[in-house]
Amino acid sequence: MSDSDPDTDRSPSVLARLVAPFVDRSVAERLVISVAAIFLSILVGFAIVLVSGRIAECSTAAWTLPFTGIGFCYDPVEVYVVLFNGALGYPFAVGDPGLFNPGWSPFNLSFGLTLSETTLLIFTGLSVAVAFRAGLFNIGTQGQLVVGALATALSVLALVPLLPAGRVAGVVLIVVGTVAGAVAGGLWGAIPGALKAYADANEVITTIMLNFVAANVAYVLVLEVFRAEGSSVVATGYVPEYAQLRPWLFPASSDFALIALLVGVGFIGALYYFVEHTSLGYDLRTSGVQAAAAEYGGVNAKLTTVRAMTLSGALGGVGGAVWVLMSEGRWMASIPDLGFDGITVSILAGNNPIGVLPAAFLFGILKGGALEIGFRTDVPTELVAVLRGLIILFVAMPEFFRMIGRYAGVGGGGVAASTEPDETGGDGGETDA
Amino acid sequence: MNPAVHLDGITKRFPGVVANDDVDLEVERGSVHALLGENGAGKTTLMNVLYGLYQPTEGIVRLDGEPQSFDSPRDAIDAGVGMIHQHFMLVDPMTVWENVVLGNEPKTWGGLRVDRAAAREAVVELSERYGFDVDPDATVADVSVGEQQRVEILKALYRGADVLIMDEPTAVLTPQEVEELYGVFEELTEQGKTIIFISHKLGEALSAADDITVLRDGVNVGTVAAADVTREELAEMMVGREVLMDPATPPQETGDRVLEVTGLSVEDDRGVEAVSDLSFELRAGEILGVAGVDGNGQSQLAEAITGLRESSSGDVRYRGEPMAGKTRRDRIERGMAFIPEDRQERGLVMSYDLTENAILGSQHDPPFARGGRLDWRASRDHAESVIEQYDVRPPDAGAEAESLSGGNQQKFIVGREFERDPDLVVATHPTRGVDIGSTEFLHDRLLELRAEGKAVLLVSSKLDEVQGLSDRLAVMHEGEFTGIVDPATVTEEEIGLLMAGESLDDESVEGAALHDDAGDGAGTGDAGDGDGADDSPGDEIDGSAGGGEGVDA
Repeated sequence: MSDSDPDTDRSPSVLARLVAPFVDRSVAERLVISVAAIFLSILVGFAIVLVSGRIAECSTAAWTLPFTGIGFCYDPVEVYVVLFNGALGYPFAVGDPGLFNPGWSPFNLSFGLTLSETTLLIFTGLSVAVAFRAGLFNIGTQGQLVVGALATALSVLALVPLLPAGRVAGVVLIVVGTVAGAVAGGLWGAIPGALKAYADANEVITTIMLNFVAANVAYVLVLEVFRAEGSSVVATGYVPEYAQLRPWLFPASSDFALIALLVGVGFIGALYYFVEHTSLGYDLRTSGVQAAAAEYGGVNAKLTTVRAMTLSGALGGVGGAVWVLMSEGRWMASIPDLGFDGITVSILAGNNPIGVLPAAFLFGILKGGALEIGFRTDVPTELVAVLRGLIILFVAMPEFFRMIGRYAGVGGGGVAASTEPDETGGDGGETDA
Repeated sequence: MNPAVHLDGITKRFPGVVANDDVDLEVERGSVHALLGENGAGKTTLMNVLYGLYQPTEGIVRLDGEPQSFDSPRDAIDAGVGMIHQHFMLVDPMTVWENVVLGNEPKTWGGLRVDRAAAREAVVELSERYGFDVDPDATVADVSVGEQQRVEILKALYRGADVLIMDEPTAVLTPQEVEELYGVFEELTEQGKTIIFISHKLGEALSAADDITVLRDGVNVGTVAAADVTREELAEMMVGREVLMDPATPPQETGDRVLEVTGLSVEDDRGVEAVSDLSFELRAGEILGVAGVDGNGQSQLAEAITGLRESSSGDVRYRGEPMAGKTRRDRIERGMAFIPEDRQERGLVMSYDLTENAILGSQHDPPFARGGRLDWRASRDHAESVIEQYDVRPPDAGAEAESLSGGNQQKFIVGREFERDPDLVVATHPTRGVDIGSTEFLHDRLLELRAEGKAVLLVSSKLDEVQGLSDRLAVMHEGEFTGIVDPATVTEEEIGLLMAGESLDDESVEGAALHDDAGDGAGTGDAGDGDGADDSPGDEIDGSAGGGEGVDA
């Protein structure tokens, strides 16, 4: 029986009112909301670009407001065109000769950079998503990625002398390195999982703390023990080229291997299957949505917590492996915030493995597009970061509200559960239909 | 003279649902009016309209003939309509008078200081005027449930309520407290207050109300004077067909010991001992009823047996095997079915559809899982068969659990658990919130399970249910059995006394049956004789045949 105060349900709080429109939406509705959010963010971004363009000083106006003659330093239309079009390598022709650019090939540098970012974020996004599905907020994907990446680099470097250089050795090293990354990331993820399950330590706190531990321990290890000779930065030696995921079809400087993206898509499918079609997946997501019901259904809550965190950490570790083998070729101290971006990717995806693909792609576009804006326009990178942030904020907010709403018990399940008392639950419950 | 409350042609539509369809309701000043109906009949919705929580789609609310338009419960309170919810909204550590004035305190110093003396005085005066027996200085946590309810009534009166709406007021009371509540009703109506109470219990409506309005499927079936109507007629109005009021429990031999509980103590979530040194046993083909006011340890007992709560001491043996250290999963696999009392917290995953809910508890077992893979087709078939057999509406395995009404959720859970082919069924409030028609069916199914030689531990706060179905009836008070009685011969008053924690020296109490060894067959024979007297000979033959199966099983 619920002992919550019915008044709280009956006179909804500000939070509940704010959040309510976003709870209980179908997939199609959520897609429409997301697209609308992108347009809205562009609208707001327009204004910001104009205002900054007015404040900034420049010799010639990039854009003039029609009929008024008021000039602006930055052209908002150009900014967004370059952002999206540039991220794909300009498939769309602006102005003449037509809609499509005839010389466009998908295998261009910009698109490669976009897809490279997409690939990395698929793994970290999945890592956060799988923990979310089990009701766990894994902020520690970054740390798991750092640990996984180090394990990958070190294991590959250790094995290189033992195998004759060549294609076969390359495949072996890549597989072994990825597995090492997964195992190390998984173990690193299992720590907060076990702490949560057996010592009741909040995983948000422990994973954040373990991020620092991971980053600093790895830094010291590399600095003191594994640093490459003659390297000016704190980094391990390079993995030999044959053991790297080299770009195929795309320009070499894109650091994008199609095979890694395909593996990522394979992981998405596998994870979707795991969550929706296996007993363990059922245990995991049931724990996530309704822990008491999962317990009733014979789910071992502690074990599920450890499992989910291990799986989450392993996915973060694979992300680290791909980062080493595809992007960087070595472990280095300045690791980008892929793990933290993975949180937003997962929220954007509604914590659904399938949704991780478009969410990671959007992030990839924003990343690739931002680079293009830097090349092509005078717009400062800080402003581009603001525009990126706006898009992410607008797209993620409805999903974020949905999560808060579910958490706070707004919407179908929550309301029904909190107005439970026998008869009333029945009478009122139907209205949710 | 205008009626105190006149709901004129109230229609309330929700997307896809008509909760109230052109309902007229007139309640005379100074009368007690019962709003009777099955689950989902629209009683609560109608009262929420009167209480200002919902705005009617069509129709007008009139108080003393004046049309009213309530935008919120606040407006309704200002107009003199008070609502007393089934679950009290009191602050436990505060005193009675503090709770009564909370939110409307008399103030001095320009609203900065609560005038405690005046507040207390007002509460004392109010409770004396209505002859309420409550100590204004007692802490709410320390007073009985019946007193807490009177505090709630005082709260409404303090805010100037003339019309009191009570939602299932007797659900949490002992029979004695119910009697006291009826006394309170009389006192209030004598002073010109008007009472509307929501109920689905026929007896309650008949004994407490002056007039009874029956709702069915959101429509007012009729308003009758309580004096002019019988139980059977009311039941027929509610259900729309004739209903057999009493389940028949044919006598039956019991089989092997299925459950032995020895010296069991269990703590609740706060670490307070909820079950104290309890011992009993349960045999195949037997229904042991557990009666008691909610919150006397029944939940913790059920959870400790089914593996959802650790016991602090004592022993639970199931089919001879000690259950200590056995997980919930182990116990499910060994054939324990459990109908939990909080169906929306535990029994169902609210955001899952019925297909997904059909395998809750069996998600690792064939035919639903093979080699770790789930077979959604099998679970869909299972969900559909439960839906069909147990008349779950809407009959759609793809419907999300949260879209079902409470009664239908309950039917689905009961169906899922009964169809698990269990050896032991622990059923807590299996028919709570379920309408009369389906209750009858669930009772029949319980008796079928018993005839098949299953052991059933039936926890219910419905006295007629536990009394009618059980072979032995244990009454629980503060974590202990105050008695195990023969349900056929015990009177409602005696059960009431036991529920209140008093013991009986009467011969109907088999005090010895409290402990394991004396439980062998005790009571069952008597129960059988008692019940058998009411049954047709045909039933007796069926019963003994069922008993034979039970022994085999």
